[in-house]
Amino acid sequence: MQTSGYRQAFRILIIVMLWAATPAGSLGVEPEDAGTGLPVIPPMNLVAADTPNDNGNGITLRWDCPPGDDGSGAVISGYVVLRSENSREGYLETAVLGPGTAKYIDNGPAADPVTGEKIHFIRNKPYYYRVAARYASGYRAVSGASGPVQGRAQWFHDGKIPVLTATVLFFALVILYIQKARLQGSELYVRPIAGMKEIDNAIGRATEMGRPILYVLGLGSPEDIATIASYTILARVARKTAEYRTELIVPCNEPIVMTIAQETVRNAYMEAGHPDAYSDDMVFFVTSMQFAYVAAVNGLMLREKTATNCYFGKFYAESLLLSETGNIAGSIQVAGTDEVAQLPFFVTTCDYTLIGEELYAASAYLGRDPLLLGALKAQDFAKALVMILIVAGAVLMSFGIDWLLEIITVRM
Amino acid sequence: MAHAYTPGLKVSPKIRLTKKRILPLKGDVVVNVGDTVTSDTVVARTELPGKVTPINAANILGVPAPDLVEHVLKPEGSPIAKGEIYAVAKSFFGLFKTTLKAPEDCHLENISQITGKILLRGKPLPVEVTAYLEGKVTEVYPQEGVAVECWAAFTQGIFGIGGETHGILRMVCKSKDERLSPEKISPEHRGCVLVGGSIVTAAALKKALEHGVRAIVVGGFDDQDLRNFLGYDLGVAITGSENKGITLVVTEGFGEIPMADRTFELLKNHEGHKACVNGATQIRAGVIRPEVVIPRPESELKAGPEVTAGALIIGTPIRVIREPYFGRLGTVSLLPPELTPLESETKARVLKVKFADGIEAVVPRANVEILET
Amino acid sequence: MTQKPEDIKVIIATDCGSTTTKAILIQYDEEKGEYRQTYRGEAPTTVESPFEDVTKGVLNSISELSELSGRELLDENNMILKKSSPSEGADIYISTSSAGGGLQMMVAGVVRSMTAESAERAALGAGAIVMDVIASNDHRLPHEQIERIRQLRPDMILLSGGIDGGTKSHVVDLAELISAADPKPRLGIGFKLPVIYAGNRDAREEVSGTLEEKVDLVIVDNLRPVLEKENLGPARDKIHDMFMEHVMQQAPGYKKLMEWTDSPIMPTPGAVGAIIERVAQLYDLQVVGVDIGGATTDVFSVFVDPEDEKPVFNRTVSANLGMSYSISNILAEATLPNISRWVPFPIDERELRNQIKNKMIRPTTIPQTLHSLAVEQAIAREALRLAFVQHKSFATTLKGVQKQRTIADAFVQTGTEGTIVNMMNLDLLVGSGGVLSHAPRRNQSAMMMIDAFRPEGITRLAVDSIFMMPHLGVLSEVHPKAATEVFLKDCLVYIGTCIAPVGQIKESKDVMKYSIDLPQGRQEGMLRQGEMLLFPLGVGEKASAVFEPTGKADVGAGKGTRVETVVHGGVVGLILDGRGRPLMTVPDDKDARIQQMLSWLENLKVYNMDELKALGRA
Repeated sequence: MQTSGYRQAFRILIIVMLWAATPAGSLGVEPEDAGTGLPVIPPMNLVAADTPNDNGNGITLRWDCPPGDDGSGAVISGYVVLRSENSREGYLETAVLGPGTAKYIDNGPAADPVTGEKIHFIRNKPYYYRVAARYASGYRAVSGASGPVQGRAQWFHDGKIPVLTATVLFFALVILYIQKARLQGSELYVRPIAGMKEIDNAIGRATEMGRPILYVLGLGSPEDIATIASYTILARVARKTAEYRTELIVPCNEPIVMTIAQETVRNAYMEAGHPDAYSDDMVFFVTSMQFAYVAAVNGLMLREKTATNCYFGKFYAESLLLSETGNIAGSIQVAGTDEVAQLPFFVTTCDYTLIGEELYAASAYLGRDPLLLGALKAQDFAKALVMILIVAGAVLMSFGIDWLLEIITVRM
Repeated sequence: MAHAYTPGLKVSPKIRLTKKRILPLKGDVVVNVGDTVTSDTVVARTELPGKVTPINAANILGVPAPDLVEHVLKPEGSPIAKGEIYAVAKSFFGLFKTTLKAPEDCHLENISQITGKILLRGKPLPVEVTAYLEGKVTEVYPQEGVAVECWAAFTQGIFGIGGETHGILRMVCKSKDERLSPEKISPEHRGCVLVGGSIVTAAALKKALEHGVRAIVVGGFDDQDLRNFLGYDLGVAITGSENKGITLVVTEGFGEIPMADRTFELLKNHEGHKACVNGATQIRAGVIRPEVVIPRPESELKAGPEVTAGALIIGTPIRVIREPYFGRLGTVSLLPPELTPLESETKARVLKVKFADGIEAVVPRANVEILET
Repeated sequence: MTQKPEDIKVIIATDCGSTTTKAILIQYDEEKGEYRQTYRGEAPTTVESPFEDVTKGVLNSISELSELSGRELLDENNMILKKSSPSEGADIYISTSSAGGGLQMMVAGVVRSMTAESAERAALGAGAIVMDVIASNDHRLPHEQIERIRQLRPDMILLSGGIDGGTKSHVVDLAELISAADPKPRLGIGFKLPVIYAGNRDAREEVSGTLEEKVDLVIVDNLRPVLEKENLGPARDKIHDMFMEHVMQQAPGYKKLMEWTDSPIMPTPGAVGAIIERVAQLYDLQVVGVDIGGATTDVFSVFVDPEDEKPVFNRTVSANLGMSYSISNILAEATLPNISRWVPFPIDERELRNQIKNKMIRPTTIPQTLHSLAVEQAIAREALRLAFVQHKSFATTLKGVQKQRTIADAFVQTGTEGTIVNMMNLDLLVGSGGVLSHAPRRNQSAMMMIDAFRPEGITRLAVDSIFMMPHLGVLSEVHPKAATEVFLKDCLVYIGTCIAPVGQIKESKDVMKYSIDLPQGRQEGMLRQGEMLLFPLGVGEKASAVFEPTGKADVGAGKGTRVETVVHGGVVGLILDGRGRPLMTVPDDKDARIQQMLSWLENLKVYNMDELKALGRA
C-alpha cells in the first residue's frame, strides 16, 4: 500500500514536472505531430507481481506511463499488455487498455494471432510480461520484460483481518463465557427478564384459582426462530404445570407445530415426573386460518376462564384480538414476539412482554444450560462492543479522525 | 443463685439405674415384671404403618375422578397382593383394557373421588425396643414399654455421637492425659468399648472403625476431626442418630483435655466388664447427655464418698470451662459477692480459683463447673 | 376483661422462657400521670422434671418482685393478690410463654410462594416456629411429604390453599396427605392434633369430610380470599386460641397459670411482634426489631408496602441461628472468612472451632477475655446478618397479582418478587437478646447492629434494656396505653442515630459534608469513604444537622441532595458511617483488614483499644 502510494506520488510528480515544463497554453493547442515532436518512450518500470488475496487467477501489472500520456489519448492512444511463457519471444496480446492506465490485473485469455486460438491464463505457470504504449502517431513502444511471475493462490486474505479478529474475539468470548457459566453454575448473572420470572407466579396463580393455563405458539411455521424459541418456553411452562398439577391448553394453528408441541409437552411431563398427568388432548389443532383461529382461542379463554395466557412466537394482526380478550377476561398474560409491529399491542394488554430478542434470550435464561448461557452472555458482550465502536467511530469521524475506520474497514 | 452454674456431669461408682424402654407408638410388650434381660433382649415390639404410595389412578385409567370408584375392584381397606390387579378401565366395547397392578403387598387405603388418586399403604415396618441395660424388668407399661433396672457404675459425657451400643470395656491409655493414638488399637479390640485419655486422633478413630470397635470414651475431640468424620459441620448439639458404626463419648470438651480423674478411675476399675454406651446428646432445654453404664452386681460395686450437692463454697473443686483457663482444675479460694468487671469489661459475679500448681486466678462464676466429689 | 383501663394501676407480667421466668412490675405514677416499669425479678423455669409445674417458677419470680419492691403481691395461699391498694396487690396479671420449645407448627398451602407463604406468614406472625411448609409444588413426592408430617410431630397444622372459589382438588389433596400421615401431637398422647383450615371456602365440606375423624379440625376464613389480598387475622387469632386450648393444656402447670392470667397467654415471639406492630402503627414508624437468643433469632419488621402504601408486619424465625445452643451452626452457615472479617486480630481456625463447640456444649459461659468477647461479637454480627437476609427474602409483596400496563412500561416491567424491606425508609432499629442487650459497652451493640443490618440514611438505634418486649406485647392487648408508654420510656435504651450515606464511592474520596449543632458546639467536616465517626449526643438530646452528600451518595433525599433534619441522641451518640452501601468490601489481606477494622473500632470507642492492639500483636 505504501509503495503504491509512493509510486502514485512519483507519477504525479512527473506529470506535474512535465506540465510545468510545458509552455503556458501549450496544452490547449493542437497536438504536435508525434512523429516530428516528442520522443517515443515505452512504459517504464513495469512490474509484474502475483495479485494478493486471490485464488491465483491473476497477476497484477504496474507501470509508469510515458510522459506524453495525459489520459486524453492525444499522444498515447492506449496500451497493449503482452504475455509470454518465455522472456524473449512468443508475446501475445492479452488486453488492450485505454490511455492513462497504469495498472492491470491479468487473468484473461490471450489470442494467438496465427490460429486465433485462445490461450487461457493458467495458475502457477510462470509468465513474462511486456506493455506496449500505442502512440497516436502509430508508433508502438514496448517496455522491457518483467517476470517470470506466477499467479498463486493465497491462503490468507489480509484485507479481511478485521472480520477474522471479530470472529476470533467473538468465539473466544463464547468459550470464555461458557466456561464461566460452567464454573459459576447458576451464579452467572443474566439480567432477569421480569416476564420469565413471572411465569412461575402466573402458573401459581392459575393453580390457586383452579383454572387452566393457555399457551399460544403463534401463527409462525415450525421453522420460524420465534416458534422454535417458543417450544423451549412451552417446555418450561409444561414442566411447571405438571409440577403444580394445573391444566394446560395449547391450541395450535399448524399441524406440524402441533405435533412438535405435543412431543415437547409430553417430554416435559415426563421430566417433571408426572407422565400420568399428561394427555394428548392438551395440545390440539384448531384451524390454519388466521381469524378462525383467533375466534376459537378467544372462545376458549372466555369459556374456560383461563387464569394465565402465554403468547410466544410469531404474531400478526391477531395479537391485539387475542390479548385484549384475555385482558378483559382478567387473565394474567405474558407475551413475547419478534414481530416489532405487534409489540406495542402486547405491551399495553399484557402483564409482561418479552421484547424482540428477549424471546430468544428467554430459552437460555430458563434452561440455564452453560452452552446457551455462555453464548447469550457473549452475544450481549459483542453487541455492547459494536455499539461502542459505532459511537466512537461516529465521534472520531466528526473530527476528521479516520484511523478507527481504517482499522475496521474490510477490503474485498 | 446455685442454679446459675452448669451442673457437673454425673459420675457415680454405684447407682441403681432405671431406664424406661418405650416404643414410639403403641405395641406389644414381650417381657414380664421380674424377667432378667440382657442388652440385646427385645422387650417390646410394634409395627409402624407402612409407607403410603399415592397412585394417580383416574389419569392412568383415563376416567373422571368421580367415577373412579366404579373401576376399582376392591373396597377401601382390603389387602392387595403384589401383582394383583385392583382397578380396571375398559374402553371401546371392552377391547382395550387399562389395569392397575399393586407394586408390592399392600392395603388399599383410600380412593379419592376429588383428586382421582388411590392411596396404597405398604407393609408395616416392625420396630423393636431392646433392654439396652442388663438387669431386671421392674415395671411394664402395657402396650408402651417397660422399665429396666440394674446396679451399675455410671458416668456421663459432655457430648457424644452415635446411638446405643455395648461391649467389653478396655483401657487403652495408661493415664488420663495420654492421647489415644492409632497404634494403641489392635484387631483384638473388635466389639469393645475403648477408653482413651485426653484426645482421640482422627487416624485412631478411623482405625477403630476398621477394627470394629463399638465405642470410644475419651476426654476431648477436635472439632475439625469431627467435621471430617461426620462429613458435615455439626450445627446444633442434637445427636444420637448418626449411623457411623461407632459411638463416641467425649467427657470433657473439644480440644485436647485430660479426662477427669474420677471418670478415668471409675472406668479403669471396671475394665474387662461389659459397658453400655449411648452417644445421644441434646443440649437444649431438657438436656440429654451421653452416658457409659457398666452394669454390675450390687455386691461388686463400692459406693463413692457422698456427693456434695452443687453448692459453691470455698474449697469446692471446680473446673474452668472457658478461655483463658479452659479445662484447668482447681479449688475455690474466694467468693466475692459483688459484681466484678472482667477483662472483657463484662460485669459478673466472680470467684477466685486456686489451681493445682498454686497459681490463683479470677474467673466468672458462670465459667466454672463444680466437680462432683 | 372486666376492668376499665383507667382502674389498672399495678400490673404484673411474666414471661416463661425455656430456662428462666422473668417477672416485671408496672406501676402507674400518679404524679406524672404515666405508667413506668419499676421492678424486675427472675427465677428458673420449672416446666421440666423434677418440678413439672410452670407456676412454681412464676411464683418464685413474683416473690422476688415482691421482695424487691416491698409490695405484697402474693397472699398466704401463694396466690396473686388481685385488686391493688397503695401497698399491696396488683390489678392484672398477664403472661407469655415459650417454654417447652414454644409453639411448633407445620403449614400447608397449594403454591409455595402464594397461599403456602401466606400461611407461613400467619403462623410466624402468631409466634410459632414453622417446622416445615408443605406445598403442592415443593418438589417432594407425596409419600415423602407424608413421612415428613409424621416425623415432625407438630403442635398444630395450618392448612390453607386456593382462593375462594379457586382450586379444590389441590386443597383436598393436601388434606388427604395429612389424613394419610395421621399425625400425633407432640404433647399429650391420645389427643387429636389441632388442624386449622383457612383455605378455599368452597372446599370446606370436602376437607372436613377427609379430616374430621382423624384430627381436631377448625375452620376459619380463607387467609387468601383473593390473590391480591391477605387476610391473616382470623387464622392468627385461631392459632392463639388453639395454642391456649390444646398446646398449653398439655404442658405441666399451664392449666393453673391460665386460670390466673387476666388475658390469654401468648407465645413469646407473638407478643414481641404485637408490641412492635402497635408502636409502629401508633407513631407511624417503619421498624425492625431483632431478638437474638441462644437457639433462635427472631426478626420483626413493619415496612410500608410500596404497592398499596399500607404498613405490613412480618416476622421470621431463624431456627438455627443463636448464640449458645446454635452457635456452631452460625459458623457452619456463615463460614469462617465471613466471621473473621469482623475480628480485629488474627485467629487460628482450629482453635476457634473448638472454642465455638465448647460454647455450644456449655452454653451458659460468658466471655472473660477481650479476645473471646470480640470473637463472640463477630459471630453475633454474622448471625444477625444471616437472619436479616432470610427476613428480607420473606418480607415481600404478594405474588401472583395481575398488573395493568401502559406503553410507557415497555422497558420498566418489574416482577413481583421485590422485598418490601427498604432500609432507607427504616426509622428505628431495635436490638434485643443477651449479646446486644448485655454487651459491656453500648458502642459494641451499636457497631454489631450497624455491621449486621447496614441501615441506610438516617436510622435510630435502640436496644431492649431487660427484654421486656414480650410482657409489653401481651399488655398491649389489654392496655395499649400502658404498654406503649413503658415501651418507649423503660424498655428501649436509645443508643443513638446512625447516618449512613448510600452509594459506592472510591476509597478515601469525599462522601458527605456534615454540619451538626451539638450542645457543646457546632461540628462541621467532611466524611470520607471508609471512615466512621462518632459524635457524643446524650439520651433525650436533639441536634439539628445538615448533611450534604456528594454526587454519588444519598442520605435519603436522593443522590447528592442535601438533607436538613433533627437527629436524636442516645447512650452512644451520633454515628456517621462512610463505608457506603452496599458495605465496602473487606480487604483480602489480613493485615490491611485488621488495620481497617481497628480504625473503625477506635473511632467508635468499641473496645479498650490498648488491649485490643496488644491482641493483634500477640
